[in-house]
Amino acid sequence: MKRRLPLLVDVFSFIAFFVYTVVFAVVILYLIRRAGFPFTVESVFGSADPVRALLLREPVFDGLFPAISGTFLLVVISVGIAVPVGIGTGVWLSEYAKGALYHVMTLFLDILAGLPSIVIGLFGFSFILLCHRLFPGKGPGFSIIVSGASLSVLVLPYLARSTEAALQSLDNSVKTAALSLGASRMENIRYVLLPKASPSILSGILLSIARCAEDTAVIMLTGAVASAGVPSGVFQRFEALPFYIFYTSSQYTCPSELDRAFDASVILIFLSTVLFGVSLVLNKTVSDPATEGK
Amino acid sequence: MQRLTDIICRFIIFSGALISGTVICLIFLVLVVSAFPFFLDNGLEVFFQPWDPVSGKYGIFPMLAGTLFISVPALLLALPFSLGFAVFACETGPTVLKKPSMAVIRVASAIPTVVYAFVGVFLLIPHIRSIAHSGSGYSVVAACLVLAVLISPTMIFFFHDSIQAVDGSIKAGADALGATRSEKILFLVLPAAGRGIFAGIFLGLGRAVGDTMISLMLAGNNVSVPGGVWDGARTLTAHIALVMAADYESPEFRSIFACGLALYLFTGMLSVLARVIHGRK
Amino acid sequence: MKKAGFWILAMVFVLNSPAFGADCLSAFKQEHGNLAIAGGTAHIPVVKEAARRIMTYNKDIRITIGGGGSGVGIKKVGEGLIDIGNSGRKPTDNEIERYGLTMYRWAVDGVAVVVNPAREIRNLNTKILEKLFSGDIQNWKEVGGNDAPVNVYTRDASSGTRKVFWKKALSKGEITGNANFVSSNGAMKTAVANDVNSIGYISMGHIDGTVKGVALNGTAPTLENVKSGKYAVARGLYSNTKGKAVGLAEKFIDYLYSTDGQAIISAKGFIPVGQ
Repeated sequence: MKRRLPLLVDVFSFIAFFVYTVVFAVVILYLIRRAGFPFTVESVFGSADPVRALLLREPVFDGLFPAISGTFLLVVISVGIAVPVGIGTGVWLSEYAKGALYHVMTLFLDILAGLPSIVIGLFGFSFILLCHRLFPGKGPGFSIIVSGASLSVLVLPYLARSTEAALQSLDNSVKTAALSLGASRMENIRYVLLPKASPSILSGILLSIARCAEDTAVIMLTGAVASAGVPSGVFQRFEALPFYIFYTSSQYTCPSELDRAFDASVILIFLSTVLFGVSLVLNKTVSDPATEGK
Repeated sequence: MQRLTDIICRFIIFSGALISGTVICLIFLVLVVSAFPFFLDNGLEVFFQPWDPVSGKYGIFPMLAGTLFISVPALLLALPFSLGFAVFACETGPTVLKKPSMAVIRVASAIPTVVYAFVGVFLLIPHIRSIAHSGSGYSVVAACLVLAVLISPTMIFFFHDSIQAVDGSIKAGADALGATRSEKILFLVLPAAGRGIFAGIFLGLGRAVGDTMISLMLAGNNVSVPGGVWDGARTLTAHIALVMAADYESPEFRSIFACGLALYLFTGMLSVLARVIHGRK
Repeated sequence: MKKAGFWILAMVFVLNSPAFGADCLSAFKQEHGNLAIAGGTAHIPVVKEAARRIMTYNKDIRITIGGGGSGVGIKKVGEGLIDIGNSGRKPTDNEIERYGLTMYRWAVDGVAVVVNPAREIRNLNTKILEKLFSGDIQNWKEVGGNDAPVNVYTRDASSGTRKVFWKKALSKGEITGNANFVSSNGAMKTAVANDVNSIGYISMGHIDGTVKGVALNGTAPTLENVKSGKYAVARGLYSNTKGKAVGLAEKFIDYLYSTDGQAIISAKGFIPVGQ
């Protein structure tokens, strides 16, 4: 048995490598082959004139433009809410929180991070219903702003923890230099720590953008619909790329709709890959000693 | 001006923390309050009863079973392979392949769950249908396989980091004593990385339990407890997505809050366990 | 003879619809705003086409369309969350009273049993149908087909299509717990079209070459049979509003009753019903 051992571990790890590489290659190649190049005028704008559609003068019925613009607005809203709250929380955790309060907050954030996205969607949904009951006609209803706010809850723990980690990983000399020169804690945070940690924080933001763009469960409960056109206001229902993929997979009325769903898949993967890639590069520049300015 | 921006910054920092803390409690409260009438009407037996609204039965047992029968096998399937891959990327792989292998995983982690499910519908279901000879292809097997693929990148990253973090002295010590690479890995490195590996397992399980789209699109959403791997099933998460469209007053509707509460409690417990094992600073 | 005359006249109207179409749409000329429609999935092809024409005519109008099933449509419009709630069944007296609904029926539709086109079955009698759906018959060979499992597809509780089918075709019989759930008529069509061993039920307007309708007790699922009453598994397509329809909602429903709208309804495979 001992003889076989070296072989076992090596062989198995090679098998694992092989299996995963094949599986992921199959998935990605299948999508790319099926979708072709997704950014064609036809798949995005359908039969509408692209220039007029971009100026919002002409509605697009058989293209991805409404879904793309919905996803874009969704990301803007959710990241816009999550970034101040998340970074604020991260700074608080790193610089101000002590003892029991620190542990309680990190526990909360860990629990929040582990919550299924559909439970967060359920929370948003309950919020809509509650507002509707208490303030009939005046609540936000199923809308892009509620979806955006719910998505921000989804990425909040990640932003907070990565901001905290970014600040904590700063060299001690960096953390204390300004303080020893008489700067207040707040000045230290604003002028030294945050700028120094900003590549890491930015990489966390980029990852959050990817997460918000690709989530389906939260938005399907809070306002994503199959057909809404370009979002006309923050209190309106909207379309989004991941929801389009979900919806089309079970009920496509014509082959071109299905083709568009494949295009949407490739667009999402492309977007996420780019965001992940840039965030990786940003992280590398932080840990690169050349930039530490010693 | 300085004072003003100072105050604004302070406000952002402290209110941010306050909002974070409030939200998590709020979610729990909302779930409990909404699920309460359901438990009041149906008692705690709903965790054990079948789901049959037509005859007035609102048990969520089939959904609990569905979640269990899909997530746990997915985790058990993904675990050895993820561990194997992480070992490959850290130790046993040829140097020229180590970095690219992690790059492959990075790209894989960029694939959203809805896209995995989408590909599964067109690539996997027809094959399962022909292999299984019974059922429509929408089955526990289909959902399990794709779910295992989904949670692997997360686990691989975790395992990779944990193995890398193992103190070099342990590896050096093993080499000095003449251990083979496999002995070193199996008996020293992996156990040393044990805590991280456990945390990764909990993370993977949490992700598997919490996923909605794969089971919604691939498992058939049948209301009965799956009798075998080729049968369909409905998970807690898919049930919420399916039923949320129903009547707001009905017990059917309220059942989704019971499911949400079950999910909250279970994933909360997993997070706490992972925390304890990994040892937060 | 009278019937033929009516149809000829209708054809004349339909053929001239561009001119009349513009007239029908002119009601939307000065309008602007949003209209939220959701509910029955059978209605979606018609409502989507109507919305497309209206939005192309007037860029200031936004119409969003959601699914969810008849139950959802009634609930949401009753709660004031949407403007028009579509239902593929008549709202119950309870629902009408509770929400103060006004119903507008603009089409008649049948619900047909469908199987995959590769399956040879052309006719089923009620007893066998009930057994197929309840799970008493589990293999196609028991009804003269090949040795393959019967895969039942069904809709969720909110579906009007399901309710009508369950009541009128299955006589409120049981549907097996092993059935696969699909969330709309469109999804049912895709599922049955992709599974050779499937059986399900669908709005007749949705039937195209990808699925095959099965006759019940000798009566084929055609529009003629629905009209004449021979095919009993039928229902109206309703658009409901809370109180009387006003504003954009009223104009939209009027559009469905207009010649343009009725032409769309026929084109999509339903029987248009006047006001």
